[in-house]
Amino acid sequence: MMNIGIPSKGRLRKDILKIFKKNKLNLISERGERDLLGSIKNLPNVKILYLHAREIVERLGDGSLDLGFSGYDLLKESEINIQKKINVVKKYNFGKAILVIAIPDPWIDVQTVADLEEIAFEFKDKKKKKLRVATKYPNLTREFLFSKGVTQFKIVGSLGATEAYPFTGSSEIITDITSTGETLRANNLRVLKDGVILKSEACMMISKSTPKSTILNKIVKLLFKN
Amino acid sequence: MKSKNLSEKILRSVKSKGFKYIDLPSVIEVNHIVQRSGENFRKFIFSFIDQNGSELCLRPDLTIASCLRYLENNLKGREKIFYSGQAYRKTLNKKNSIIRDQVGFEIIGSENEKNDDKEIINTALKSLSNLNYSKGTLKIGNIEIFNLLISKLNIPKRWKLRFSRHFWREQYFNDLLKRLETNSDVDPTIVEVDKKRYLKMLRDDHQEMVAGRSVKEILKRFDNKIKDPRRASRGKNVSKIIKEFLRIQCPINKAADKLNAFFKKNKINLIVDQKYFPTSNNKIQKLNVKFSTSFGRQLEYYTGMVFKIDIKSKSKSINVINGGRYDKLISDLGAKKKVPAVGAALNLNY
Repeated sequence: MMNIGIPSKGRLRKDILKIFKKNKLNLISERGERDLLGSIKNLPNVKILYLHAREIVERLGDGSLDLGFSGYDLLKESEINIQKKINVVKKYNFGKAILVIAIPDPWIDVQTVADLEEIAFEFKDKKKKKLRVATKYPNLTREFLFSKGVTQFKIVGSLGATEAYPFTGSSEIITDITSTGETLRANNLRVLKDGVILKSEACMMISKSTPKSTILNKIVKLLFKN
Repeated sequence: MKSKNLSEKILRSVKSKGFKYIDLPSVIEVNHIVQRSGENFRKFIFSFIDQNGSELCLRPDLTIASCLRYLENNLKGREKIFYSGQAYRKTLNKKNSIIRDQVGFEIIGSENEKNDDKEIINTALKSLSNLNYSKGTLKIGNIEIFNLLISKLNIPKRWKLRFSRHFWREQYFNDLLKRLETNSDVDPTIVEVDKKRYLKMLRDDHQEMVAGRSVKEILKRFDNKIKDPRRASRGKNVSKIIKEFLRIQCPINKAADKLNAFFKKNKINLIVDQKYFPTSNNKIQKLNVKFSTSFGRQLEYYTGMVFKIDIKSKSKSINVINGGRYDKLISDLGAKKKVPAVGAALNLNY
């Protein structure tokens, strides 16, 4: 039996379903669109699981999924032990987004990460507190900021609506995923000139613990095309 | 780890120099470390949450544990202490052990800087005499000289602060030098756009807060920045001076001469006396004593004299002792007053 994970909602789900359709892999769900389990017509040994995109990465890591579709950002954010157990076999031309550092637009004196580094020290030395960074991507954010010399900060974990954090007193700046930057602008935030942490796209990934099989090869080959 | 016998001999040597043995807790609050060293330190610590929700970790470093003890027990004045035990750190290098057995000794509340620096080096040398080795090196550096040089250079204040803050991170420091040499750090097109905004903000309420910063603060910094741009040509020259400084290496008795010649050549108004260094002997026991300006980058908390001892044993070069002055560590951990300190640790895992 082979398990394939597909995002259960959103744009990513739609785009992934399209490539299945284009390559004549007919997905069947007995209980309609909201069914969280499915199969592929004429491939009785394949099970489809509709999961949260973050969970697809986790399940590939523990080997309960053999093949899965998710964002590159989510893979890179996951724990090192999970990343070690997953191979990316294809990066698609959709699901494109960037993870960026965004600051309140009225901070006109801050253009680059180097400026931010100074502000972080000002917070530490003059205000006696840490600059807070709200994010759904604590690992990538921490790595990036440190590599750019920003060491004095505190991560505030966020589960959603991160853009509002700087204006509700929950953090001073944020990092978030964006494709056009529109939501950030609408929320009075601005991306730093050199503030791109990671470029991401939809990916097909396989679990390293999956035994090689003709059926897996066949599906990977078919879905390799956009 | 070396034999128990050897570590006991080392402890006796340190004790004979008038140091008092103390016990240190194995577990400390993560908050102290994150507060001082920032988030990235998390990568190296083994942390866990206790039943009350406090985040604790195995001590990653004995010096931090010892400074916390001084702080939490409200101790005052000068204290000569030593301790032994294990420190626990995650490591990316498979060859390094996550458990580090160390003997450490410190003078906390060290007001007489030069004397205490000497005393720590002498104690290090005495404990070293317990080890078998054919030859070795005692390398001495001083971060204070670097900071003095930076303070005299012709670059905006924000750049001086950057270099001082990041001296200990070699790779990022080199990136900074590259940036200093090439492009200017104020983008003229963005400044033009933001200037309009600036003029508008001048009319706003200056006390208004935007994500933790007042409009007044933002305008002041913007103003400073555009009035004091850094020109790439000047940056190149300064970068050359810094690089040349960081290449200075010599026997310790030549340290002052070399530095003074460098300052004179680059028209920097600084003079160093040879007495500034803890010793002027080029050979102590079986060690060659050397001075290096770029040495001292392994730990963020050093502020003045730094030293390390490497020995040759069975044709392998081994780093056995590291030490230095950390005058700001205890205040960074939360003390209201500055408590100067100097210390060293002997590594028993080799």
